[in-house]
Amino acid sequence: MTAPTTTKTQAALNAFVKETGGWVAGQLEACTRCGLCAEACHFYQALGNPEYAPVWKMEPLRRAYQQRFTISGRIKSALGLAKPVTDEDLGRWSVLVYEACTVCNKCALVCPMGIQIGTLIHDVRTAMSAAGVVPADLHAAALKQVEIGSPLGVTAEAWRERLDWIAEEWEVEIPVDKPGAETLAVFTSIEVMKFPENLAAVATILNKAGENWTVASQGREAVNFGVFESDPELTKVFLGRVFDAAKALGVKRIMIAECGHSYEAFRWTAPNIMDVPPGIEITHIVRVMYELMKAGRIKLKAGAYADAPVTFHDSCKIQRRGGLIKEPRALLKVLAGDSFREMDPCREQSQCCGGGGGVISIKEADPLRFAVFGMKIDQMKANGAQTVCMVCSNCRLQFTEGVAQYNSGVKVRGLTDMVAKALE
Amino acid sequence: MGWPEILRFFRGPFLKAALLIFIGGMTYRLIRVLLLGWRRDRAKSAGSKVGGTLKAYLKSLLILPFIPWVKRTFPRNALTYIAGGLFHLSLFVVLIFGVPHMLVWKSLTKVGWPTLPTPVVDWAAAVGIAAMVMLFINRFVQPVLRLISGWPARLNWIFVFLPMVTGYMMTHHMFFRYEVLFSLHMIAVDVLLIWIPFSRISHFLFYFFAKTIHGAQAGKRGVTP
Repeated sequence: MTAPTTTKTQAALNAFVKETGGWVAGQLEACTRCGLCAEACHFYQALGNPEYAPVWKMEPLRRAYQQRFTISGRIKSALGLAKPVTDEDLGRWSVLVYEACTVCNKCALVCPMGIQIGTLIHDVRTAMSAAGVVPADLHAAALKQVEIGSPLGVTAEAWRERLDWIAEEWEVEIPVDKPGAETLAVFTSIEVMKFPENLAAVATILNKAGENWTVASQGREAVNFGVFESDPELTKVFLGRVFDAAKALGVKRIMIAECGHSYEAFRWTAPNIMDVPPGIEITHIVRVMYELMKAGRIKLKAGAYADAPVTFHDSCKIQRRGGLIKEPRALLKVLAGDSFREMDPCREQSQCCGGGGGVISIKEADPLRFAVFGMKIDQMKANGAQTVCMVCSNCRLQFTEGVAQYNSGVKVRGLTDMVAKALE
Repeated sequence: MGWPEILRFFRGPFLKAALLIFIGGMTYRLIRVLLLGWRRDRAKSAGSKVGGTLKAYLKSLLILPFIPWVKRTFPRNALTYIAGGLFHLSLFVVLIFGVPHMLVWKSLTKVGWPTLPTPVVDWAAAVGIAAMVMLFINRFVQPVLRLISGWPARLNWIFVFLPMVTGYMMTHHMFFRYEVLFSLHMIAVDVLLIWIPFSRISHFLFYFFAKTIHGAQAGKRGVTP
């Protein structure tokens, strides 16, 4: 007989069963437990803990599926041979899937079967979230986003003041709630508070190109802690705020500034979990800059950063899973010319910085993410880069802190800021 | 009952029963997964799903098994790649291009094809057996494999290994009389066929699910799978 399950475990199991469509089952059935995914995981590579193997991280989902849906699993359960999911397991796996996984999905590229292991681990997170077994820091940030509108606690007034300050400091015009605007720019709280030059840069570029754009006070936060927690309801609430603002202003497109997970959420997740307003295109700042350059609406000083080696960090959600791979390279070819150097690995195969998937917001995960970052340091040493740039402010924060942690002299920059400073 | 009768039973009625269980079991599992429901991905495509799927298959069928070092993870787990690749290659050579197996296929499907010379098939079989032994040891040595392997993995290994080793012994007339070894080989094959629907060896079928999902997803997002 299996032990009686508690409400927590039951909530998790219910979530697992809800997640299990053919899409999940077909992939779980394909897993041969070859263990190769471990070698793709930066947490396993950096720390060598076998529990960090992606296949092990999705173990609760596999167990739940097997016991509920397969013949061999049902026979085993009947004989009392199956390992049930317990509260203790939930606690243990909560640490594995939230603190030692950035949902970067590099494992999917290594898996001989092609299983989307990252996505399945995200499903494990959904169950953890349903059971309320989420790291305290992460959940606190999510609650802050519910109440205040920003996971960093930036209130509407503080946001407005910050924007006014940026407009004054960098002498740029930032239109707020402009009716009739075509593009709605959405920033992250990280940019607003920690990388304000990013806002100034976006404003400078869009103004220079003559773009009819605005920011929205009702849809001011790109970050989505619902995605990090993998709570579908919260995810929808946070996405909905921006979609509502976009509808109210009548914009034609939503442009995510330097942020990875929110680009993924708006571009690829939203249409599958909620009704999105029709006719609104989702785009990312790196794509907009690329298109503006191609169309000749902005002109970049060729070789503006050619004096020292520059490298680019591919973000999991924007490049590997978002496909915006050629755009930053086209911009950097102009800006840095032959001084642009690829990291190894790069593009789809790029290694995650270690701060994604909400990991950076969990204090307990600090030693893990810094250990992982050591591999990025090695990659930058290998290509001799003196500047590293990226189009995700979450990655950028991780790089800024990581570079400091390792006393590396590499300069960390946002690509948008580099473009803005090289406008002709 | 002597060995000739035993052989007749295990390559006759029992084999038919085993095949029925195999086909029935796999069909059940296939239908079960298909009936769990599939949601359409409503996000707008940025590329071609078909193109991505084709790329995923070409990459995994043509390049990766034979040139495993194109994957960056190769040096850190060379044994799994090489032994795993050789095992599958060996299976392919022996089961498709070995004369006796081709004749089995021919008796089932009425279609025959040219086979490879016996020494080639024989070497392939030996390589496959050696690879299996390496993979078995690896499951106990490699920390991740130790964590994720339990009795199901070991049973899978045993049930796959027995037909291989009895088949090899049979073609080399080792230790026992031919009909004894032939009988053991047929028993092992029957047991394997019955076991497959209850095990992860069924990955040969679900591989196509995962690979198609992977390729389509990558293609949709405009990235290389």
